[in-house]
Amino acid sequence: MTKEEQIKIINDAIIQTKNSLKPIGYNLLFWGILIISMSLFHYFFPELVQFSNYSSLVYWIAIPVIGMIYTTNYNIKTGHKIGYETQLGRVVKIIWAVFGLSWFLHVAITLIKGINNPTLEILFSLAITLIMTGLIIKFKNITIGGLLLLAFVVYNHVSPGLNFLLMNACGIAFGMLIPGISLYRFKETK
Amino acid sequence: MDKLLLNPIRLKIISSLLGVSSCDFNHLQKVTESSKGNLSIQLKKLEESNYISISKSFKNNYPNTSCSITKLGSKRFEEFFKSLMSLKK
Repeated sequence: MTKEEQIKIINDAIIQTKNSLKPIGYNLLFWGILIISMSLFHYFFPELVQFSNYSSLVYWIAIPVIGMIYTTNYNIKTGHKIGYETQLGRVVKIIWAVFGLSWFLHVAITLIKGINNPTLEILFSLAITLIMTGLIIKFKNITIGGLLLLAFVVYNHVSPGLNFLLMNACGIAFGMLIPGISLYRFKETK
Repeated sequence: MDKLLLNPIRLKIISSLLGVSSCDFNHLQKVTESSKGNLSIQLKKLEESNYISISKSFKNNYPNTSCSITKLGSKRFEEFFKSLMSLKK
């Protein structure tokens, strides 16, 4: 075997086990559509969501938890189908698991302390998670989406009074839906 | 040069495991384009030399073999690659 052949073997093997970006795109797309739909539904039909004291809380906890179960199941199945886990994929998975944990903590603190809704805190954590993901997988659109979402959060701190549901829908559209579509449609090249 | 890595199948296995935290048997079979028996033999040789670690489990009631590279395996590959590149010069 010549040196060139050996280098080709190494190169081909590494290319065949590269990180697949499509599942991340699918996850962003799924959560983007889900959260925007939930926000707009809540905005246009408040009487259906807020029919009792805790109904909106149940609405904003139960549906995301179902979404988490669905995406976790999807990611496990995709992982089995691909047959390997890259170091990069593992890092991204851990970052999103930490975000999931922070979401639970924000919700729990809101429930225990009886403070206002945790939308801004959750969007802030989400923006940071998106920026980190974009930088790690070197996909500019996600980083820009995260920065835009962060700008939404900062703007709301500077100038409060925006409708949380509309802000949620806009922020998620720029932070998750648009980057998710571009990542999902991104053709992975060698 | 490391004689163990001069074998193309073993070199493909180690190269595939470099950037991953774990990789299953079926994917390695696809990458190496080898038979199950041959792949098992090569994996065993790499495991005996502590280049890789193999774990066996069940996925959806089917047995699953998962491999990952060890620190020694990474080090040996690095040395092999350096010597390969120096030979090229």
